[in-house]
Amino acid sequence: MSAIPVVGHIADIQGRPRMLWTQSLSWVLFLIGIFAYTQFSIVRHKENPEDRVIPSGAQLWQGIKASVLEPAEEDDALDPGASTYQRVTHSMLWKDTVSSSRRFFIAIALLIPAILIGLHMAVFPYAEAFFLRFVLFFDKIVALSLLPVLFIVFGIDELSKIMLMVIGVGPTLMLDTYNIAKSVPREQVVKAFTLKSTNFDVAYRVILKQIMPQVINSVRLNLKPLALFLFAGEMIASTDGLAYRIAIMRRHMGMDIIIPYLLWVAVLLFGMDALLRVANRRLHPWF
Amino acid sequence: MVLAARMVEEQTVAQTQPTPVEISLRGVSVSYAVGSTGRKPGVTKTVLSNLNLEILAGEFVAVLGETGCGKSTLLRLILGQEFPSTGMIVVDGKQVTRIDSRCGYVPQKYSLFPDRTMIENVMYGPENAYCGWLGRLLPSYRAFKRKLRIQAEEQLLRMGLRANDLNKYPHQLSGGMQQRVAIAQALMMKPPVLLMDEAFSALDPSTRASLQQQLREIWQESRPTVLFVTHNTSEALLLGTRLIVLEPHGDEPLKSNVLIDMPLPQSSDTISVRKKSREFQELSEFVKRRAYGSHSRYHGDQPGQETRSLGDSL
Repeated sequence: MSAIPVVGHIADIQGRPRMLWTQSLSWVLFLIGIFAYTQFSIVRHKENPEDRVIPSGAQLWQGIKASVLEPAEEDDALDPGASTYQRVTHSMLWKDTVSSSRRFFIAIALLIPAILIGLHMAVFPYAEAFFLRFVLFFDKIVALSLLPVLFIVFGIDELSKIMLMVIGVGPTLMLDTYNIAKSVPREQVVKAFTLKSTNFDVAYRVILKQIMPQVINSVRLNLKPLALFLFAGEMIASTDGLAYRIAIMRRHMGMDIIIPYLLWVAVLLFGMDALLRVANRRLHPWF
Repeated sequence: MVLAARMVEEQTVAQTQPTPVEISLRGVSVSYAVGSTGRKPGVTKTVLSNLNLEILAGEFVAVLGETGCGKSTLLRLILGQEFPSTGMIVVDGKQVTRIDSRCGYVPQKYSLFPDRTMIENVMYGPENAYCGWLGRLLPSYRAFKRKLRIQAEEQLLRMGLRANDLNKYPHQLSGGMQQRVAIAQALMMKPPVLLMDEAFSALDPSTRASLQQQLREIWQESRPTVLFVTHNTSEALLLGTRLIVLEPHGDEPLKSNVLIDMPLPQSSDTISVRKKSREFQELSEFVKRRAYGSHSRYHGDQPGQETRSLGDSL
């Protein structure tokens, strides 16, 4: 008797690739990307050894070192005898990461009410009547078009950038939570009421608890739009932040700084997404 | 003839004994517009018409009928999930205006909270009833919860769950096990009325038979008023003390949907013995002929299936 074949045809829907295959395949596009970049860089550096558009490995390394260990141009220079820890915590990358993260997390905290409004819209008919039509309309307003209004109303400080993120992602998150909560079977609500639940119990202990994993997934999907609005705000009016630095470096053609910054932002978002995914799995083993 | 005489006799006995009315439906009709688009009104479809029912405390009423005859609507009306277009529904002495804990409810599926373990599902109701939000902050809450957990464990073990299943989530257990827990969950609240909407229809025959037996035993012990909606004639006849057969509403505006309303003969035999008796077979044929007429081939769970012996259908 033959064993079930574990390696199917490459276009076989029923194929069962081995673990080694799946792991290897998942890295192939990364390797192709690195290889293509290196080749382009080599070609450009052959033509012009001082090329800054596609920096070489050595230039990138210098850029990373400057970002991680040296303060920003606008800041005071560090004492030459400063420790590595001091260098890192006073560096350009650290300062920008802290500034952007602060804005990012404040915006996420301000989005919690959006989740609750979405839940209430789905559960309480009066809240649905009050909010739904307006939120559906408001969701269609392109948030970036509101940026001038936000700058006029909230000034060009932190608040306008945070509000841009909240206004940009809030309605989407509200509607997503609304749809998720609406998809909870009606039987669950009926059953809860027959088990002496109050309205509060049904909304928070039955429905919110059940939809929480999907809401967290929705937040995960909205991490990138949040970062997008943050970058838009920082690029237009800011004195620090990851996007501000990228905008400044663009003027100097500082690709040796821009590329590490782009990768750092991707790593941060990827890490946050992974953290939420693991938390979701741990907190909701039934999902 | 003997059977008919016996049914009349039992009906007379039931009428002479003063038993409190648990559920009362007075002139209940339900109709709604179908296919209305924008400003154009749709066709009005009547689901239930001029329904007058008095269900006595402790009765086990089996409700039969073809698809679309209003069985589930009837249940939703009694629950308070839907409201009649005309008429009034009274449960446990009070008019039904909203869903509350007077009625226990076991639907066909989605009965359990997926984010709670089996034991937590069963404890959910009593915790709400006796603690509330502030009660959970009291020092006595832990002792109460411990006691409640013991009761819930007993209830679940009685329903046939194993001890190591108690802390599993609903998706980790079979449909049959989930329905056992759903019944236990409803019974923990000791509701005066238990409404079951095709609660066993998604189960395999052996699980179904075992749950029927258990439900019958539970009913005999605590005598809640049960309204059991089913598609299965044999199930209705074996479990119920009274049978109501609904028919789809025709064109006559004031004609009631109730086609048959009769008491069922009771016996101390087990379900498996009863279903083989000649009396049961006769009654089953009678109901099928009256209820489904020319559609008498349809008496099981799956419409259109060939007629089988009643023993097979269970």
